[in-house]
Amino acid sequence: MEQQIDPKQLAPIVEDLCRLAQVLYDRSQDWPALNRNSRRILASVEMLKINLGRDSD
Amino acid sequence: MNYDVPFWNPYLETLPREKLDELRLKKFRRIFRWAYERSKFHRNLYQQAGIQPDDIRSLEDVAKVPKVEKSMMRDIQRKDPFPYGDALCVPLDEVTEFRQTSGTTGQPVYQADTWQDWEWWSECWATLLWAQGYRPSDRVFLPFGYNIFVAFWAGHYACEKIGCETVPGGVLDTKARILKMQEIKATAMMCTPTYVLGMADTATNKLGLNPASDLGIRRITCAGEPGALIPATKKRMEQAWGAKVFDHVGATEIGAWGFECADQPGALHVNEAMFLAQIEDMETGEPITGPGKPGKLVITALDRIAQPCIRFDSKDIVEFSDDKCSCGRTYRLMPGGVIGRADDITKVKGVLLAPSAIEDVVRSIPGLGDEYEVVVEKRGDVDHILLKVELSEGAEIPQKEMEARLSTELRVRTNLGYEIQIHSYGTLPRFEVKARRFKDLRKHGVS
Ligand SMILES: [Zn+2]
Repeated sequence: MEQQIDPKQLAPIVEDLCRLAQVLYDRSQDWPALNRNSRRILASVEMLKINLGRDSD
Repeated sequence: MNYDVPFWNPYLETLPREKLDELRLKKFRRIFRWAYERSKFHRNLYQQAGIQPDDIRSLEDVAKVPKVEKSMMRDIQRKDPFPYGDALCVPLDEVTEFRQTSGTTGQPVYQADTWQDWEWWSECWATLLWAQGYRPSDRVFLPFGYNIFVAFWAGHYACEKIGCETVPGGVLDTKARILKMQEIKATAMMCTPTYVLGMADTATNKLGLNPASDLGIRRITCAGEPGALIPATKKRMEQAWGAKVFDHVGATEIGAWGFECADQPGALHVNEAMFLAQIEDMETGEPITGPGKPGKLVITALDRIAQPCIRFDSKDIVEFSDDKCSCGRTYRLMPGGVIGRADDITKVKGVLLAPSAIEDVVRSIPGLGDEYEVVVEKRGDVDHILLKVELSEGAEIPQKEMEARLSTELRVRTNLGYEIQIHSYGTLPRFEVKARRFKDLRKHGVS
């Protein structure tokens, strides 16, 4: 591996993404486009959490 | 992005064993609690067994969790919410994907997935495709009838996730698919081993093409049948296409849980960051953790949330190896992949018979075609095996000679005698999706 990966350092960034996407999702109940797109971002963020071994849980 | 990185996820795929075990325990506890708290089906099952989430303190404790069988999933689908039943752990509005099992062993089972689950499906597939050498520079052709079954759908989405150019070869016939692959210079494809051989046959005998030199396919990923890890079948496919052929295994209810890496160790890696694979003795049900002893795979999808797969009795026969793979992954290997199905591995005249052993013999003999069929039945009180094979196109081999060779090689390999019928080329049935070549009429009357 060229680059050492420390999932613990990356986990807070994923947490920030998750929090921001959740805010968008919660505030967009009357705006389907924002609501569904932020929902899909949340699903992708969940994959990032899985990618990092759920270190942010 | 660096295409030379050999791992889709360099962190998870090289985790030391103790870290991997920690992760799997953490994830099992999480999905177990998730299902316990959200699904009546799971809660009832676990309460009846006297087990609750806090009781899982080690991976050994997982063996106390009751298994789920396909028949149980069929039963609950008569309950609400329609059509999935009470194993569903999310509101129906969260479900974005419907798939169903093929129904080869009974009423199909419906499978619900959320978008997150669908991302997870493609994540599992991306892991295996990257391991097999797929990169964003690939143009991947999917000669597959996109439909209600999950097969290759997730492969399609995973190709997109990786960044490959993804070509849906859906409602085209075999000739049109081959010509399209040639026209657009596809570099990789995915299909069942049966269809890999069937396409090569069509290309050669109906289109006058040599797949190895006239088409630019460099790698092929197989699914749906075990052939890509049966040495003689793999060799036929690789020679016909001039490509590397890789196996992968998965199921609608489970996900894509195992894969062959680019180093082709003759084994499948279990994707252990995403799945907890346990093997149990076929007769006693005792856990098998050591290498070299085949048993039944009981598997948990650790991150699948809509309709969780927790200790699912897969009926796949597998065994562990303690060998380390040269690719550097720490994910455990299963030599030979799925060796058979508990439904198919059967005793004939008191001898255990795996259909894959017959396939390996048939496809290792030059002059025999790719198709074959095995019928086991009772004649009086005696088990009888009929093997139908086909000569390859243009083969001129005396029938008696071929029968004698087959008979000898089968006896050496399986310890059994066979009635052999040799048919001319093109007369046995062709399959595109899951070939059913093994029929045990003693069990069901029909197969
Ligand atoms: Zn490997």
